[in-house]
Amino acid sequence: MTSAVRVEGLWKRFGQQIAVAGIDLELPAGKFIGLVGPNGAGKTTTLSMVTGLLRPDQGIVEVGGHDVWRDPVAVKARIGVLPEGLRLFERLSGRELLGYSGRLRGLPGAEVDKRASQLLDVLDLAGAQHKLVVDYSTGMRKKIGLAAALLHNPEVLFLDEPFEGVDPVSAQTIRRVLERYTASGATVVFSSHVMELVESLCDWVAVMAAGRIRAHGTLAEVRGDAPSLQEAFLELVGAGGRDAGSDLDWLGGGAR
Amino acid sequence: MTTPLVPADITPVFVRLKLSLLRNGLRQSGGRRAAYIASAVVVLLLGALQLLGLIALRGHAHAESLVVLLIAVLALGWAVMPLFFPGGDETLDPTRLVMLPLRPRPLVRALLAASLVGIGPLFTLCLLAGSVIAVAHGGAAYAVGVVALCLALLVCVALARTVAAANIRLLTSRKGRDLAVLSGLVIAIGAQLVNFGAQRLGSSGLAQLDPVADVLRWVPPASAIGAVDSVSEGSYGVAVAQLALSVAALVLLLWVWSRHLTQLMTAPDGSTLQTAEPVARGRAGSGGLARLLPAGRTGTVMERSLRYVWRDPKTKAAWVTSLAIGLIVPVFNALQGTGSIYFACFAAGMLGIQMYNQFGQDTSAFWMVATTISSARDAYDELRARALALLVITLPYATFVTVVTTAMLGDWPRLPEVLGLSFALLGAMLATGAWTSARFPYSIPQEGYKNVAPGQTSIAWISIFGGMVASALLCAPVIAATITLNVIEGGDRWTWVLLPLGAVYGAALTWSGLRLAAPRTAARLPEILSAVSKG
Repeated sequence: MTSAVRVEGLWKRFGQQIAVAGIDLELPAGKFIGLVGPNGAGKTTTLSMVTGLLRPDQGIVEVGGHDVWRDPVAVKARIGVLPEGLRLFERLSGRELLGYSGRLRGLPGAEVDKRASQLLDVLDLAGAQHKLVVDYSTGMRKKIGLAAALLHNPEVLFLDEPFEGVDPVSAQTIRRVLERYTASGATVVFSSHVMELVESLCDWVAVMAAGRIRAHGTLAEVRGDAPSLQEAFLELVGAGGRDAGSDLDWLGGGAR
Repeated sequence: MTTPLVPADITPVFVRLKLSLLRNGLRQSGGRRAAYIASAVVVLLLGALQLLGLIALRGHAHAESLVVLLIAVLALGWAVMPLFFPGGDETLDPTRLVMLPLRPRPLVRALLAASLVGIGPLFTLCLLAGSVIAVAHGGAAYAVGVVALCLALLVCVALARTVAAANIRLLTSRKGRDLAVLSGLVIAIGAQLVNFGAQRLGSSGLAQLDPVADVLRWVPPASAIGAVDSVSEGSYGVAVAQLALSVAALVLLLWVWSRHLTQLMTAPDGSTLQTAEPVARGRAGSGGLARLLPAGRTGTVMERSLRYVWRDPKTKAAWVTSLAIGLIVPVFNALQGTGSIYFACFAAGMLGIQMYNQFGQDTSAFWMVATTISSARDAYDELRARALALLVITLPYATFVTVVTTAMLGDWPRLPEVLGLSFALLGAMLATGAWTSARFPYSIPQEGYKNVAPGQTSIAWISIFGGMVASALLCAPVIAATITLNVIEGGDRWTWVLLPLGAVYGAALTWSGLRLAAPRTAARLPEILSAVSKG
């Protein structure tokens, strides 16, 4: 098994708080990979460091065998990124944003325009292509961000919470595009805290909690004997068995 | 069936609501209370001062002209206020009252009464009272004055409410918020113009106002005050016509306001409607701008930067400020005869500031740039393209301002040296701007009036003032050459050399600055991103 991404001894502290506490991970190529964990587990921090947007305190990150920090030329051409919580150039229209992003990556103008048209069509954004991104809805923003990340046909795509706040129709569109993309041998790494989604999409899962990797492997390996990924996950992050049965017994129908 | 409750008059309810909102607003924080009290004191002082001033004007031949103009400007202020300060008054936001069973007519009456409570109406009242005293002569005039005062005040308030109600969709939309960012600017530039106008008046007398006032005395609400003057002069017919105009204006405003209110309260809110009407601008691919720009990263970045100058409210506000001050300072100084031709360098200096904090202007969208920069060469291309985009506007503008200033002062022999100085300064600003963009980036909050994110003020000051001092020092050779040529005998014949010298020197400075800044930018991408993502 070749690895698309290799992470070794990755650390990040923000003041007193340790966001990522020594991660070692090898992500297989050509898979749909889910990075799951509760809020504050360090998913965004990890993805930011892997994609070169945040400098780690310590550790090695390699994409396709190239060090992210020592060989950015090789890495940046090979990856596509959709970060969470960062803006886009929102005063450009959807089409202008794709044109800008593709040309910055050195693609020829005509090729960028052709690919942009196709992506806009596939992602149901053709009708809003001349609208400024600032006026887009959350789902439309995620889709235009995804289009910008796919434009240069990267080997590995990193998506931070691509389905967060996205309506079911847009989510299905995003999903279709991603499935087609991985079917051709490319790798998708995405973070989420919606287990059902991860379970239905991913072949390979890494579970993160409190800045560490708690489990990783194929979906079946991580799930183990548990009935669902959700149960396995709650067990792994130590939230299992915390049943609300005894408290709040007054809550609900019946005697008021 | 129960008899429907006959609603009592809701006017007192709304006035009480307004008062409690004011009171509660003050209770929220000490700072807000202090700010409110301070502004109230300032407004009252100003009101009292202008009241005294207007009373002192009493009997002056051109008093009426001035008063009429003042009222017209005041009304204009009331009309534009809601556009610039939307959401300032919760009692007056009709969308908050949608769930209540209210009829338009009592509602308009109640809202109008509530709008009369506050500092703004108080100030207006002072000004109107002063105006009436300034022009009223005789008992009849005073009687009309009281009517005129009430009428003018109501017209002002109704005007503001009508404008707000008519534009509430705009004001609560993104475009409205964009507009609000520009408001400070309009006020600042307006203040400059008023200041200049006042100075002109001071030097050449109030008689200049008469032609304007002759028109304005027929325009409500100024016509109400015009009526007071007409009564003082015994022209009762004219006075009746002027008063009637104001009354008609008030009735019309109330009617329009009431219609908009009804529409707002019964039609669905704009936010619930899908606003995705397709924009039929048949622009396939890149527009006309792109064809003129070079290909590759350079053209792409230039195009984006130039689009942002127009489309991004913060960037636009910064540019308009620079362009306006860069023109106003040299030209107004020249107009007043106190100017030096060297003031023309102001334009280059003010516009050069736009090169500072380049990446902060991107906000956290800088990640899109960061993911495409993998070498110092990429960073150099990026910075050079941004500098070029700036030069597209700056170079012609600085030249234009210099030529205009020179023409006004008639000092043509000095044109080459001032242009040379301007270009050298511009080059120095671009060089230091590129370097500080890489070294001291900071966030520009997208909402509100602040231009620096909390906690980064010191970085911004170091960046801007350090950069300006450094720019001045970098220009020292050209300044020294200028002084030398002007001092030594026969040097005048050689001052033209300063133009090519300054241009070449400025270009060299820019080139070195970009060269120095590029590797720093490429090496600090994550640090820059986190510094500009705080807004």
